[in-house]
Amino acid sequence: MIGRQRRQVFLLLTVLASLELAVSTTVQAVPSFARQTNLPCNACHTVFPELTPFGRMFKLGGYVMSKSAKAYEFPPPLAGMLQASHTSAKGLTSGVAPFDSANRATDRLALPQQVSIFFGGRIYDKVGAFVQGTYDGASNHSFLDMTDIRYADNTLLWNKTMIYGLTLNNSPTVQDVWNSTPAWGFPFASSTVATTPTAATKLDGALAQQVGGIGAYVFWNNLVYLEGTVYRTTRSGISKLLAAGTPTEEVVDGAAPYWRLALEHRWKNHFFMFGTYGMQADIFPSGEWSGLTDRFTDVAFDAQYQFMGTIEPEHPQIHMQMGGEHKAKTGHHIITAHATWIHEKQDWKASVLLGGAANRSNSLRSLRMNLNYYYRSHVGDIGGSIGYFSTTGTTDQLLYAAAPLDGSRTGSPDSSGYVLEADYRPWEKTKMSLQYVIYNRFNGGHADYDGYGRSAADNRTLYALVVVMW
Amino acid sequence: MKNVSGYAAVVLVLGAVPLLATSVGGEKYDAGRRLYANKCQFCHGIRGDGKGPAAEALLGHPVDFTDAAFWKGDVTKKIYETITHGKQMMPAFDLKSDDITAITRYISHTFKKAPQHDK
Repeated sequence: MIGRQRRQVFLLLTVLASLELAVSTTVQAVPSFARQTNLPCNACHTVFPELTPFGRMFKLGGYVMSKSAKAYEFPPPLAGMLQASHTSAKGLTSGVAPFDSANRATDRLALPQQVSIFFGGRIYDKVGAFVQGTYDGASNHSFLDMTDIRYADNTLLWNKTMIYGLTLNNSPTVQDVWNSTPAWGFPFASSTVATTPTAATKLDGALAQQVGGIGAYVFWNNLVYLEGTVYRTTRSGISKLLAAGTPTEEVVDGAAPYWRLALEHRWKNHFFMFGTYGMQADIFPSGEWSGLTDRFTDVAFDAQYQFMGTIEPEHPQIHMQMGGEHKAKTGHHIITAHATWIHEKQDWKASVLLGGAANRSNSLRSLRMNLNYYYRSHVGDIGGSIGYFSTTGTTDQLLYAAAPLDGSRTGSPDSSGYVLEADYRPWEKTKMSLQYVIYNRFNGGHADYDGYGRSAADNRTLYALVVVMW
Repeated sequence: MKNVSGYAAVVLVLGAVPLLATSVGGEKYDAGRRLYANKCQFCHGIRGDGKGPAAEALLGHPVDFTDAAFWKGDVTKKIYETITHGKQMMPAFDLKSDDITAITRYISHTFKKAPQHDK
């Protein structure tokens, strides 16, 4: 009953957002950031959600850049997104009607996979936000998704420009502006019904909507980015608001500090970044919220390279007219490469006593690399990506126990494989992707990895996705 | 006590200087300063030299208001048309004529360098 009410509320909000956009007098019927700034989507995105250098500045600037002289946006900066997908993998079912809640968790056809409403833009003066409310088709529930509320300003420090600001967010790395970190990293979308490896570091999405944090950042001289954020559990207190609709399963004890340092450098139209980030969190064993905790210390390094096309800054052949609309163009060829390596030190001092872990001390390492190429043609943006992922760590027969589908016969968390993806963006607000995920190793094995006869090859996934934004 | 009164008088006089300057500069100058800070500074920079925080991220260079070449020709018209219609990477802004006039006055008074005369 509550689920039905939530869905009705969500649908009502979707209709209201659509009406708001329909009566909008702005020229470009594109999501709220574009309407607010009068810039096309590709000023900030290579192909959404990957950010261009200017997109990173817009985000660091607090999402407040606006064409309007007012201190607020009216109509409010709302936008919407619909994702529909089809997943081919062994063991999935088919034949469930759209919005039918039965059996959605294993249904090949996800219609919708996700429906989101965004508040994206300026709230007031120098305060802006990216707030995403999502209905997830597979789990049939609505929740507050990625949220990042900012205050930002800029000044001079030692005669060089500096952006400084505050961020209030609900997922470590959601506030980051480089797509090498987990929250906005490749693959940018994936199947919600395919079987995926069990082991992941806490920074790699495990704490999304499980914590709420406030942090401060500076970006000095377009060179040094420094950030510190402190997270607390969303189980109680004011941070509870940041996890509306999501049960808190990873209960963090006290404050969990997060840090980020990145160095960016531009050479002609090539943008380089090298950075480090990390977090330490004391987390109660599953189902507990008092007593002893387990400690997770994540230290990560990441890098990004971006080539923004062949337009030379000295001779900006930037067309004001393209397809009858005012557009600012980047180059025709865009290349982005990302890499991140996360090392997690795990101290299972509580779980060992409760029988949840066999070893007191474990480690987990994950590596992700990908290369994206996009070509801006007259018939839309065409591109593709290739990615490699690997997770390795200490064998633990209790943490990674044998179980059908997602268990491990050997107790090893090791998984690795490749992601191949083709993308086509025929219009600014529409993106189509075809993704193929290949596993060399899954939860510690190739054949019979789960102890119930399933092989890593059985989890190969072909995933087709259509994203429409409005 | 006499010294205290003297210091107080100095502080009052010094404190009044910015207020006097404001009135001399005019309300439009202040309005222009605020609009410039909110709308232009992110790309064109605090010093108006086209080196704001976002400038480095753009493939084209934002205009340098401290460059004498910018101030040649009908600058008022140039600024008005650029703000209302956009140019290259710069989008069009929904600003009223008064706002654009205020911005023009601010950048003209703040960043335009006095012409250099040969001695």
